Amino acid sequence: METFFTTSDKIQHIIKSFHLTKTLYVSSIIIGEAHIGKKSLARYLFPDAPLVSGEDQEEVEIALENHDELIITDFEKLSNQSTLDFSNKRIIATANYMGNQALIDDLFAFIYTMPSLQERPEDVKYLKDMFIHEAQATLMLKDKDIDADTIPLNLTMNSKSLKKSIFSHLSKHSMDHKDIEEIIYYYLLKHLDGNDGYKEYLGLYEKPLIEAGLKKYGSQLQLSQVLGINRNTLRKKIYEHDID
Amino acid sequence: MNTTSIDFQAFIEWDNNPFILFNDQGKILYLNNAAEILFGYVSKKELYDIAVSYAPQSFGYKTTSLILNYDAFVFHAITVGYKNEEQISLRLYNTPRLKPTRKIETDKLIVTDINILLEANIALFRTKNSNPLKLLADQDLPPFKINQNTFSKLLRKIFDTFRASDSIDISLKLLFGQHVIIENKKEAIVQLSIVANGRYADTDDEIRTLSAESHIKCLLKEHSIKLEIPLIQ
Repeated sequence: METFFTTSDKIQHIIKSFHLTKTLYVSSIIIGEAHIGKKSLARYLFPDAPLVSGEDQEEVEIALENHDELIITDFEKLSNQSTLDFSNKRIIATANYMGNQALIDDLFAFIYTMPSLQERPEDVKYLKDMFIHEAQATLMLKDKDIDADTIPLNLTMNSKSLKKSIFSHLSKHSMDHKDIEEIIYYYLLKHLDGNDGYKEYLGLYEKPLIEAGLKKYGSQLQLSQVLGINRNTLRKKIYEHDID
Repeated sequence: MNTTSIDFQAFIEWDNNPFILFNDQGKILYLNNAAEILFGYVSKKELYDIAVSYAPQSFGYKTTSLILNYDAFVFHAITVGYKNEEQISLRLYNTPRLKPTRKIETDKLIVTDINILLEANIALFRTKNSNPLKLLADQDLPPFKINQNTFSKLLRKIFDTFRASDSIDISLKLLFGQHVIIENKKEAIVQLSIVANGRYADTDDEIRTLSAESHIKCLLKEHSIKLEIPLIQ
């Protein structure tokens, strides 16, 4: 069976309440930001219930007629909310926002608000490990290639941005010489035109080179020696590329 | 017609409106059946004080219209009278109650263990609030028929009114000896009582409407809410 991991008290209470009402014919709605696990939670609690999306109004209507138990996702997208009849049915809906509060209040007996990932640091840790494993398998990386602590986590769009930030970080950090050449190759293939192409795209190589060099060696004098160019030339290039 | 030989006491005894006769010390000389029930909710002194305050200036009878509210009792007028210095009478007039227009469709209700609904709603309340909460439930209550959705909604709204209270006591018990007649059947009554140190009254109207839908009698007070739920079998 699929499990749902959480250490959040709030969500534990939601799960408890759902477990109690599992056999009852009541309508419930889980409201919270996108990509925080509302659908996974509903699926985990009701693994056998049919699932329809609020994006397809007709499908929801047909499903309501034929089933006593139903999960409706994206409930806020339904435009015919006021005509729905949930009496003596077990409805579990999920929505990204409340919408018409009076209507939701009238339709649903249980209204849960699910906290976003930012409010659940422990859950983020768990998801991060999960996504790292997933990325590791997909990108075929070895453990030694990964330094989990240095991955910047983006939670602005909850698990969606979290997953993206991990995948993009890991794929960037696992590239070799050849991959980089290939990326630049395809990039140039797409963008190269005009009459000053050489100078225009030289920055693709020069800017990261100087930035990384300055970070590594600290002073311009030392870097000019490492790069084997004149200090004045380096200065000029720093100015050209607008590097701090 | 000579009426002195007729004994009127039985007529007053079985009048639905409470009638009380006090002496000048505030002691009860006589009370009818309805008044006896009323004294379960209000003190002797309070009613005596009302009688004295609204008494006519000299011997006679005076009816004053005013609204008095004691738990489930609502009165819209009183008559106070005396014909000597020793006795004073107080009669309270029941405000007619609106009969619920919606018939309850008992066959559409689902047999439910009310404790489950109660606990689920407490869990819901806890997702939003961390107020201390005590529950005294009767696990032996038989399951009965109820509209699970409407009743859950009612519970949610009731709990929400206590969102800022820092002590909430919930108790659920069978009211012995009390019954209500629904569709010509005598049903027992279970009482859900929630007492706290204060509550919001912003959704009282909705609570009343939802209660009426399920034939539940609700008593809304400043610090508490009591529901008398018919145990429909």
